[in-house]
Amino acid sequence: MKIEGEYVFNGPREEVWKIVRDPELLSTALPGTQSLEQVSENEYEGEINVRIGPVGGEFAGRVVISDEIPPESCTMSVEGKGKPGFVKGTGNVQLIAQDDEKTLMKYEGEVQIGGRLASVGQRLIDTASKSMINQGLDTLDQALQARIGADPDQGEIEYQPPSETEFAASVAKDMAGSVFSSQWVTWIAIAVVVILIILVLVFMSRGGV
Amino acid sequence: MNKTLGKPIKRNEDPRLLTGQALFVDDVNIPGMLHAAFLRSDFAHAKINGVDTSEARAHPGVVAVYTAEDMGEDWAPGPSNVAPPPGEDVIFHSRTQVPLAKGKVRYVGEPIAIVIAESRYIAEDAVEDIMVDLDMLDVVADLETALDPETTLVHDDLDSNLAAHMIQDKGDYQAAKASADVVISRRIEIDRGAAAAMENRGIVADWDEKSQHLTVWDTTQAPVPIRNGLAARHGLSLSQVRVIAPFIGGGFGPKILLHYPEEIMIPWVSMQLCKPIKWIEDRRENFHATTQERQQIHEAEMILTREGKILGVSHTFLHDTGAYDPYGLTIPLNTESHATGGYDVPNYHGELKVVFTNKMITTPVRGAGRPQGIFLVERLLDLAAKELGMDPVEIRQLNFIPPEAFPYERVIIDQAFSPLIFDSGNYQPVMQKAVEKIGYHDFITEEQPRLRAEGRHVGIGITPFVETTGVGPYEGARINIEPSGKINVATGVGTQGQGHFTSFAQIVAEQLGVEVTDVNLVTGDSTEFHWGTGTFASRGAVVAANAIHASAISVRDKVLKLASKILEAPEEELELEGGYVRVADLPRMSISLGELALEANPLRGAVEPGTEPGLEATAYFGPQYGAAAFGVHAMIIEVDPETMMIEIKRYVVAEDCGTILNPLILEGQIHGGVAMGIGNAYFEQLIYDENAQLLNASLADYLVPTACEIPHIEVEHLETRSPLNPLGTKGVGEAGTIPVPALFAQAIENAFPDHDFEILEMPLSPNKLFELLHNKENIQ
Repeated sequence: MKIEGEYVFNGPREEVWKIVRDPELLSTALPGTQSLEQVSENEYEGEINVRIGPVGGEFAGRVVISDEIPPESCTMSVEGKGKPGFVKGTGNVQLIAQDDEKTLMKYEGEVQIGGRLASVGQRLIDTASKSMINQGLDTLDQALQARIGADPDQGEIEYQPPSETEFAASVAKDMAGSVFSSQWVTWIAIAVVVILIILVLVFMSRGGV
Repeated sequence: MNKTLGKPIKRNEDPRLLTGQALFVDDVNIPGMLHAAFLRSDFAHAKINGVDTSEARAHPGVVAVYTAEDMGEDWAPGPSNVAPPPGEDVIFHSRTQVPLAKGKVRYVGEPIAIVIAESRYIAEDAVEDIMVDLDMLDVVADLETALDPETTLVHDDLDSNLAAHMIQDKGDYQAAKASADVVISRRIEIDRGAAAAMENRGIVADWDEKSQHLTVWDTTQAPVPIRNGLAARHGLSLSQVRVIAPFIGGGFGPKILLHYPEEIMIPWVSMQLCKPIKWIEDRRENFHATTQERQQIHEAEMILTREGKILGVSHTFLHDTGAYDPYGLTIPLNTESHATGGYDVPNYHGELKVVFTNKMITTPVRGAGRPQGIFLVERLLDLAAKELGMDPVEIRQLNFIPPEAFPYERVIIDQAFSPLIFDSGNYQPVMQKAVEKIGYHDFITEEQPRLRAEGRHVGIGITPFVETTGVGPYEGARINIEPSGKINVATGVGTQGQGHFTSFAQIVAEQLGVEVTDVNLVTGDSTEFHWGTGTFASRGAVVAANAIHASAISVRDKVLKLASKILEAPEEELELEGGYVRVADLPRMSISLGELALEANPLRGAVEPGTEPGLEATAYFGPQYGAAAFGVHAMIIEVDPETMMIEIKRYVVAEDCGTILNPLILEGQIHGGVAMGIGNAYFEQLIYDENAQLLNASLADYLVPTACEIPHIEVEHLETRSPLNPLGTKGVGEAGTIPVPALFAQAIENAFPDHDFEILEMPLSPNKLFELLHNKENIQ
């Protein structure tokens, strides 16, 4: 599967770069992330919960960053394995300064997906992954705003990442929008969100036993 | 005579099936039974470094977990289903499926470990606790690049991914080509589909340690060979193993792999644990664990005279066998047998290459290579007709094998490695029947122009086909008249919905003068009848039916002999009617079959030397070679140019499968076959990505046509008896499916006369048709 896209951050390139290379921030940008640790200068290991349509579960994986030209570009290779299948891919991320206030991020990559995620989740995976990326980048942008807007004397402003449920709801809304005509989107999104909340509650109650 | 044979008698088995009283494998529940779930590979090709089952073993409710290593010396690849092909120049590398992957996995879905637990739920949960350490390998997914020297090997001990290579010739194709007026060359591509039987596979195995006996309930189409294989594998006597294939919700070919990994593992585990074990395949598993078919790429060519007479057919083709090739050359040889259709073709050249890929194994699926062959020859013929400005019906009529040419020798060999001979046939009247029934000439001269003027996209197709059926080696049957007067019949073939309980009973009723409902048939139980090969290749109504026929005649002879003595009347004056033997002219002088059965099995007195007790006989039948059936399908279709959805306005089948045993059952077979063909042509396609991951492994994404997509099907019968068997029957089980893709291509092209496009691939879909039609170059 090819992943390709662009995103405009409202901030200078150097700041964007810092955010992209901050594992703690990254892990909040993709809710469901259980952990993300920098194990060496260019290597991260972590665990993430993913749910795409009927397929869900935990992935354990590793991200390696190479060919790094700060603050311009880098290559990321990802390898993840979990109960719902596996993911393996390489992608390039490029940051282009548009002006002092705006930075364009271009990303493209090739991902191999296998297991249940591929065989059952296939028709949802394209929309779901695009949406997850966009939601994640939106979150990063908000974090960026928080940082830039912070008064240097008072330290950083408290930044509140979205919860897993909020995140899933946004993804669900995107997915519904791609499948159904707009007048139905709201209703379907609401239905999907309700189901997701129930699922999360069930998941939490099972996890608590 | 013909009191019951050939009559549309309602099926004996239906009351049981319709009221839920029929036994299917999942209905078998034994006290203490444990449940199995398999860990299957997510990877199409990967090296296994290790499998850690410790966490799964510790899972509460788990009884055992086994990997290939745990099987020790019991681990061995399955046997090949078929013998290697003969011939000095033939290459054939046999690589058969393994019970559990060892060293590496070769396709997504290949089993790596089995978990045995108190319930299936627990077993499935514990499967997720197994940790497999794998290294991904390059994947062989593309059929065409699989043979490139730099491509990764599916089987490391081979030099390439070539599984088989074979060349067959009739006449001299190249010489004929030099004198041909018309040469039509095209690349033809057929992709994979699933059989998608309503019932998935399932196995229950019960090893009884005290009686040292193994009972297996299995959704197999070949219970006797499974029994033989299990006995051989476990060093047991044949009498220590009983395999029962009870009612099965559809076979369609894939239920006859000998043996599936699960068919090895479930009995093996039962013997390890001395416990009954059940495994029922779920639908997603079915997509990854049950064999598939049809992927082939042909470089095909037809040469003709300017009058439209075929001079020759030639093709070189790749056949995707998947990760293993247990079914040998059956499918590609079937394609070759049908690549010249029902036509008199003097020159033929066929070169087949079977290729290993990292995908599910392919084995016959209803049609078994035949639809590919028919698609090829019928497409080329349509293109030739277009080039020559001939009517599609006319060019076919010109080339049919004439009735006086039978038996017609094709010179090549068939799937059973016998010389391919079409035993009998009379093709023109069948074509005529289809042409008349669909109103071909009126449609193309009046109705179609009128509808086209309204802007509607209606097309007509008319496609003949042959079906080689009823191959050997043999089947057998035992018939016994019981003291109740009822007749008990046992045969080794299994039944998956073909109506055997009725059509076979009709054959017996015909000979013994009883009601069809008084004939009790047992199929697919190796203890009831332990000789046989199985239900495949449209052979039940040919091979098993004739064995039953022969056996019924033997029993009838015994009945007449004994009754003649008791009634003191010559045998030729006796008749069998309504469960009695009576003197034809003196109906009061009679004895019931039940009483006669008692007389034949006395408790005292002396039995005459040379006689046998009871009214029982066993007989076998094996044909010299397969019988060739014939048919023509015709269809009027309308395509919605916006959505590309289709509406089938008329669907006509004219068929000739020799003697008809029961027209109701025959038509049911054809209806089901056509439905499957429609799926093959327009709905069903297994989509693999470039890493051999199956992308539509659910019935939400893999579209099986429903009742809404299946039209009313009008069936016409003609009967050309086969000279190869006493009943004169030919098979029909796969007939409905075979010509449908070719028919769809023809009719859809015909629906868009202003688009110059060619349909050279199957399956089609609304999307693909849209792409073909909207490729700008194709619009005139």
